[in-house]
Amino acid sequence: MSDTSYPDAPRIDAWDKVRGALRYAADDARPGLAHAVLATATIACGTIRRIDTAAARAVSGVRLVLTHAELAGVKSPGFIMGGGYGFQSLQPVTSPRIAYRGQPIAVVVADSLEAAAEGARLVRAEYAAQPHQVTLDAPPSDIIAQADSPLPKPMFADVTAGEAEAAFAAAPVRVEAEFHQPAQHQNPIEMLSTVAEWRDGHLTVHEGTQNAEAIRHGLARQLEIEPARVTVLSPSTGGGFGQKNSLQAHTVLAAEAARRLGRPVKLVVTRAQIFHDSSFRPASRHRIRIGADAEGRMQALIHETNSQTSRHDLFPTLYTDLSARLYGVPNFRGRERLVRTDVQTPGYMRPPFEHAAAFAVESAVDELAYRLGRDPVALRLANDATADPITGRPYSSRHLAECLRRGAARFGWDRRSMEPGSMRGEDGSLIGWGVAAGAYKAATAPAIAKLRLSADGSVTLGVGGHEMGQGIRTAITAVLVRRLGVEPGRIVLEIGSTGGTPQHLTAGSWGTATVVPVTDDACDALLRALEALPPAPAHAERLRAAGRPFLEVEVSRRAPGQPEAAMGRLNTGLPAAVGPAYPEFVSLSHAAHFVEVRVEPGTRRVRVPRVVSVVDCGRVVSPRTAASQLRGGVVWGIGAALREVSEVDPRHGGFLNADLAEYVVPVNADIGTIEVEFVDEPDPRLNRAGVKGLGEVAMVGVAPAIANAVHHATGKRLRALPIRVEDLL
Amino acid sequence: MRPFSYARADGQAAAIRAVSAGGAGTRFLAGGTTLYDLMKLGVEAPERLVDINALPAIRGFDTTGPRELVFGAGARMSDVAADPRLVAEYPALSESLWKAASQQLRNMASLGGNLLQRTRCAYFRGGEPFACNKRVPGSGCAAREGIDRGHAVLGGSEACIATYPGDWAVALAAFDGVVDVAGPNGSRSIPLDALHREPGTTPEVETSLGRDEMILRIRVPVTPLGRASTYHKIRDRESYAFALASAAVALRMEGEVVREARIALGGLATRPWRAREAERGLVGQRLTAEAARAAGDAALRGARPGHHNAFRIELGARTVADALLIARQRV
Repeated sequence: MSDTSYPDAPRIDAWDKVRGALRYAADDARPGLAHAVLATATIACGTIRRIDTAAARAVSGVRLVLTHAELAGVKSPGFIMGGGYGFQSLQPVTSPRIAYRGQPIAVVVADSLEAAAEGARLVRAEYAAQPHQVTLDAPPSDIIAQADSPLPKPMFADVTAGEAEAAFAAAPVRVEAEFHQPAQHQNPIEMLSTVAEWRDGHLTVHEGTQNAEAIRHGLARQLEIEPARVTVLSPSTGGGFGQKNSLQAHTVLAAEAARRLGRPVKLVVTRAQIFHDSSFRPASRHRIRIGADAEGRMQALIHETNSQTSRHDLFPTLYTDLSARLYGVPNFRGRERLVRTDVQTPGYMRPPFEHAAAFAVESAVDELAYRLGRDPVALRLANDATADPITGRPYSSRHLAECLRRGAARFGWDRRSMEPGSMRGEDGSLIGWGVAAGAYKAATAPAIAKLRLSADGSVTLGVGGHEMGQGIRTAITAVLVRRLGVEPGRIVLEIGSTGGTPQHLTAGSWGTATVVPVTDDACDALLRALEALPPAPAHAERLRAAGRPFLEVEVSRRAPGQPEAAMGRLNTGLPAAVGPAYPEFVSLSHAAHFVEVRVEPGTRRVRVPRVVSVVDCGRVVSPRTAASQLRGGVVWGIGAALREVSEVDPRHGGFLNADLAEYVVPVNADIGTIEVEFVDEPDPRLNRAGVKGLGEVAMVGVAPAIANAVHHATGKRLRALPIRVEDLL
Repeated sequence: MRPFSYARADGQAAAIRAVSAGGAGTRFLAGGTTLYDLMKLGVEAPERLVDINALPAIRGFDTTGPRELVFGAGARMSDVAADPRLVAEYPALSESLWKAASQQLRNMASLGGNLLQRTRCAYFRGGEPFACNKRVPGSGCAAREGIDRGHAVLGGSEACIATYPGDWAVALAAFDGVVDVAGPNGSRSIPLDALHREPGTTPEVETSLGRDEMILRIRVPVTPLGRASTYHKIRDRESYAFALASAAVALRMEGEVVREARIALGGLATRPWRAREAERGLVGQRLTAEAARAAGDAALRGARPGHHNAFRIELGARTVADALLIARQRV
C-alpha cells in the first residue's frame, strides 16, 4: 500500500497535549504516595568511607533512607550494549564505590517531597577520594581501540574498504583536519520520573520510556523476580532523544523503596541530577583525511575517532559507518577508539554518532570544495554513491542527489557567490550560505501486532512502539484509517506498556518502519478473516451479522532476512533491530540541509534566519508530524552547532552547567524560517509500506551546514562545536 | 528544603519590624524568583520570610512626573517593560527589562528584587563540592582556576570574580538612578551606583543595604538623554540568557557632536559598572565608528582576563561601540 502519498492529518494527541490532559508519571498523585529524593556524591572517583543518615532520618515525615548498606543485594541490570538492560552496568547505591560525581549515594523517602528533599540534603558522606580523569586528554592506558576490545565483531570492527592510506598518499588534492564535539545532554522536558507500586507481589512501574520491555526485564533481573511479575506503563513519553532508551538507574531505587515501605513511591530525578544520572552524548574527536583527484572525485577517506566512555562500560561507537557510506568513496578506513573517563556511561543522544561524524566529514568535504574551487553542492553530487561502498550491495533506494537538487533549487543556491565574505546584508551583516548532507541507517525491529475489530466498529491495535512526541500514534492511525476506513476517534492504540504485545525499544529511527508494515500485515489478516463472514457494507456490520462481538488477529514481522531468533530477543526485552545492511541491499535515509547565517559585523553574533531541509525517508506516513519532527531536528541541529555544551571542570569531574538556564538550548528567538520537504518516494524493497526512518536523519548534517555557512560568511573554519561569539571575534 | 516560616506583611512598618526583630535568618520576600530558586538549591536558607507583595505602596510606578520617574520596588518587571512612555522616552530602561529572563519570570519578578538578584556563578549555585567565598566565606574561590567564561573581567578580587547578573540595575546606573530604602532607623536614599559593592575580601556582602532595610522605590531623574538610549545585550542565545556583555548607553547630541554620554556595562563586572571615563572621552567628539570603538576600549580599561573570558574584554568594547551607534540612530 505504498503507492500513494498519505494525506495531511492532525497529530491525534495534540488536543490532549495542549490541554494538559495527557498524564505523565510525575503527574501521579495516587493515595498513599510517598516521595523519594536522591542524595548524590560530591567526589569524582573513590569510595564512601562512612555515610551518616541519622539527620536525614530525623526529619519529620521521612519514612525510609536507603544506602548501599541496605541495597547491596540489588543486582546490576547489565549494560544495554553488553547483553543487559541498563544505560550502564553500574547500579548506584549498591556499593560504596563512587565512579563519578553526581552518582546517587542514598534514597530518602518521605510523606512529602519537601521532607524527602530536606532529608537528602542532610545525608553526609565521608569519602576516600582517588584521582580522576574526565577529558579526552587521557593517558594511553585509558585509550582502547574498539577493534581490539571485547566488543562483538563484526559489528564493532573497524570499517575498511580498499587501500585508504595508499590512495590518500597518491591523491593530488588532500584535506586533513581534526574536529571536536563536546559532551551534550538531551534534556527532554519530561524529567526521569517513576512511580513504583507493589500489589500482591506484583510490581507496577509508571515511567516515560522508549523501552518499556527493558525496564520490565531489567527490573526482574535486578530484583531476581519473574518478568511476569513486573508491568511497565508508558503510554506517552515527554521526549526521549535516546536518554530514555534503556533501564535508568533510579527506577530500581523507587521499586525497592516502594517494596520496603509498602507504599507507592514516586521518584523524580531533578534537572540538575539528570546531568549525572542518565546517559549523554559523549565528547569525541575526529581526525579526517580526504584525498581527491583533480576533478573532485574522492578517492580516499580516513576517519579516526576518540570517543568518551566510562570506566565501567565500553560504550561502542559507529561514527565511521556514516563517513564510509555518505559518498561513493572507494578507499575507506575507519578507526574508532574509546577513552575511559570517570563519568556515567554515555549513550545514544539523537543522532548518536551521525551528528558528530557528519560535522567532521561534511566540514572536511566543504574544505575540499574550497580547495578545489568547486561549488559545494556540485562536489557532493559528483561523489554520490551508486552502491554501498562497504558491502558492495545495492541501495534499496537512494535519493541523496534528489535531496541536494531540490534543496538547492528551493533555497536559491544558484545566487550564492563562492568567495567567503562576499555576501552582505543591508545592515552590513556577513551572509553565509552553507550546505551539508546527512544519512542515517534505515533500521527495522521485529514486531508483533494484535488487531481487534469490535462489533461497535471500534478498532484496538496492540503493537510494540513508544510515543515520545515523534508522532508514532498518528502514523499508526493513518494506516488504520487508510486500510480499515475507521475514524481516528474509534481507534485505541495499546503501545508503550508491557502486558500486551512485546514493546521493543523505540529508537534509531526504526519506529515507523517497524510498526507500519506489521500494522499493514495485521489489516490484511483481519480483512481476510472478515471475508469468511457474511457480506455487509461495513466491516462492523459483518461482525454483527455473524453475531460476533469482535474479531482479533495476531501477526508478527521481522526485518528482511532477520532470523527467527530475533523474536526471542524481542520477547525478553533485548534490542533486536537490524540495518542498514540487509542480505540483499543496504538502506539509508538521507538529508540535505541548506543554511543561511548572518554574522553581526561588530559583536559577531551568529543568527540563522533561514534553513531549507529536504529529506528522503521513504514513504511519509504522517506528513504533519513528519514535518514537525524534521523541523525539530533542524532546531536541535542549530542548538548543537551554536549553543549546547555540557561544561566540564576537570578538577571536579561531572558537569558544571547542570540546569536549563545555563545549558543553553535554542529558544524561539533563535529560530528563523525552517522550510522542510520530503522526497516521499516509497522504498518497497525495505518493507511493503516503503517506509525508512526520519527522526535521526532530520538532524544529521545541520551542524556542518551551519559551520560551512559561518565559513562562507567569515572565511573562518571552525572545527570545534559549539561555535560561539568568542570563535568569531 | 529546609523548614522556614512565612508571614505576609500587612504594612511597610510591620514588614520592617518583623525582619528587624527576626534576626539574621529573616528575609524580605518579593517576587521570589531568585530567593526560592536559591532556597531549592540549598544556597539560601532563611528561617523566616516576610512577604511584602501585598504592600500597595510599593506596587505602582509613574513615568509621567516632571522631574523624575518613580518605580515602586514591588512593580513587576513585565508591567514596567511594557510602559509606553518608557518604551518611547527611555528605551534603555525598557529594553533592560525586556531582555532579562523570560516572560514568565518577568511576570513574577519585582523591580526591587531584581536589583538584588544574585550571581549565576556555577560554583556559587552548585554547592558542594565547590569552594565559594560568597556562599561560605573563607572557603576559597573555585572559579578563579575554573570554568570562568562567564566571570567578571572588571571589579573582581582574589576572593571572588562572580559577575553581577542583572540588566535593569545597569540601565539605572547609566541614568543616575536612586534607590529609596526604609529601615528600623528611618529612610535614606542610595545612588544606584553605590548600592552594589565590589567583592573585595568580603564577597558575601553584596550591597550597602542593611539586612533589615527594604527597598521602597527607585527614582530616575528626568533627562533629555532618555530617548537616544539603548540597552544592548549580547548573550549565548537571543532570549532567556544572561549577558556575555551588555551596555546601557544614552546620548545627548548636537548635530554630529556628543554633548553628554552615559555608559554602563553589564555582564562584565562584579557590579553594575558605570564607565565615566569613557563617557567623558566622548564629549565634544563626533560620534564616528572609530570614536564609538575608542569609547568601548575606554570602558573596558583595566579589565583583567581569567582563563576563558578574555574574549569578553574585546566583546565588551564592541558591545559599547555598537550600543552607541544604535543610540545615535534614536536622537
